Parts: sequence; C-alpha cells; structure tokens
Amino acid sequence: MFEIGIGDQGIVIIAGRLDAAQTEKAQAFLDSIEGLAVMDCGGLEYISSAGLGVLLRTQKRLMSGGGKLKLTNVNPHIHNIFRYSGFDHIFEVEVSTG
Amino acid sequence: MQHTEHGGAKGGGVSPKRDGPVRAGGRMQKSFKRSFDSLADIFAFTESFFEAESVGPAHRHDVNFAVEELFTNMVKYNSTGKSDIRLQIERVDGSLLISLVDSDAQPFDVTRSPPVDIHRPIEEREPGGLGLHLTKKVVDSIDYQHVDGCTTIKFSKNLR
Repeated sequence: MFEIGIGDQGIVIIAGRLDAAQTEKAQAFLDSIEGLAVMDCGGLEYISSAGLGVLLRTQKRLMSGGGKLKLTNVNPHIHNIFRYSGFDHIFEVEVSTG
Repeated sequence: MQHTEHGGAKGGGVSPKRDGPVRAGGRMQKSFKRSFDSLADIFAFTESFFEAESVGPAHRHDVNFAVEELFTNMVKYNSTGKSDIRLQIERVDGSLLISLVDSDAQPFDVTRSPPVDIHRPIEEREPGGLGLHLTKKVVDSIDYQHVDGCTTIKFSKNLR
C-alpha cells in the first residue's frame, strides 16, 4: 500500500511503502510540485533505494529552480537509510520523536 | 507460478502446500515471479514470518530492505531469466538467515559492488547505485555463489 498526495497547508503527505514497484506513481506526483515543498513522512513505513532515487531526482529538479524538498516526521529506520546514503546532507530532515 | 515449500530439515512431517506460505520449525520458503510486481507478495511472505517469530520492527525493516534490493537486482540484471526466484528465511538461534536463489542467472557478485562516495554534493549525484551499498550496511553478513548458472545469495541479520 502506497499513497502520496497534498494535505493541509499544501504539505505533501506520503504513506505506506515506497518500494521499486511504486516509484512510477511517486515520481509522477512529485514531478508536479514546485518551489519550497515540505513532505510529511509520518506515514511512510519503508523506502528502498529505488524510492531514494525518486527523492533525489525531485530534489535536484527543485534545487535547480531555487526550491527544495524538506522531509518531516521521518521514522528512525528510514533515517538510518538516509544516513547510510548521505541523504541527510542532501535533504533537510526532521526525525519523528514518536 | 509461485509455490511454497516447508523447510524440510526442520519440517517435522508438515506436508508441502502450493497455495500459500507454510511455516515449519522457523523456516519458510517460497518462489516468486521475476517481476517488481512480486514485491507486495514478497513483503506479505516476510511479514508473516516476522509475525510468527515475533521479529521487531527494526530487524523487519532491514531484512525487507535487503530482500528487495537483492531481488530487484536479480530482476533488473537478468530480465531474460526463465526461472522464478526462490526466497527462504529461517531463524537459527539469535539470527535470521535469508537466501535468494536464481537458477537461471548470469554471474554477478553482489559482494564486489564498487564503493559509493556518499559525501559528494547533490550536483554530482545521480539516482541509482545505492542498493548494494545500503544492503551491506543493514545486514550482518552476505555471501554470493554462482555455480552452473545458479546464483545463490545468502545474508544474515542478528536479532540482538
């Protein structure tokens, strides 16, 4: 199960499992966002390297236009994956405390 | 076609079934079609094992991550292979032991993937190339064998 959409105040809401079978859906949505964007990852249970590729592609596009993607409520398991891949330096990341 | 078999060495007389995962003595085995579309079934399979063995969320995450990376690697780099890919997971003392077997594969030693410089600035980074690097980070050991066209990758995760 994977869902992505716009929530309150224009925040991107992502939930479920972003695996290699879901990258097309995720990329299609993220290609539509512009500028300074915030993505609430509180419902994101899992991300694979294919999902990281989607996020990186999006960040590169946004930054080339002066924007960026900020990730909030990232669970500790996913944050570990960000650290191991160096994505904690590419994205502004807020780790969930719950 | 997918099929499931029980772990014979520890099975204790449980008959093999072909309509769903079977757990026997802390060991499960199932074959999956060579497609990214198999991932949902793969995760359902691993999660049923984790539930039965009371595996915690951190270990579940890491095992699922490694399984996906290794499985999708087999799919991407051997898309013309005819066989399904067999996944086995078992608990031995304080560890999970996982193996993936592709019986129609070209040699590709996943343990010898090139190093990844994770400190490069975003301008110098491109999507891709992280899967095996990250897999080695989240597992405790990984082993690769290729014999007579059959690739077997085994990894372990300590449940400490």
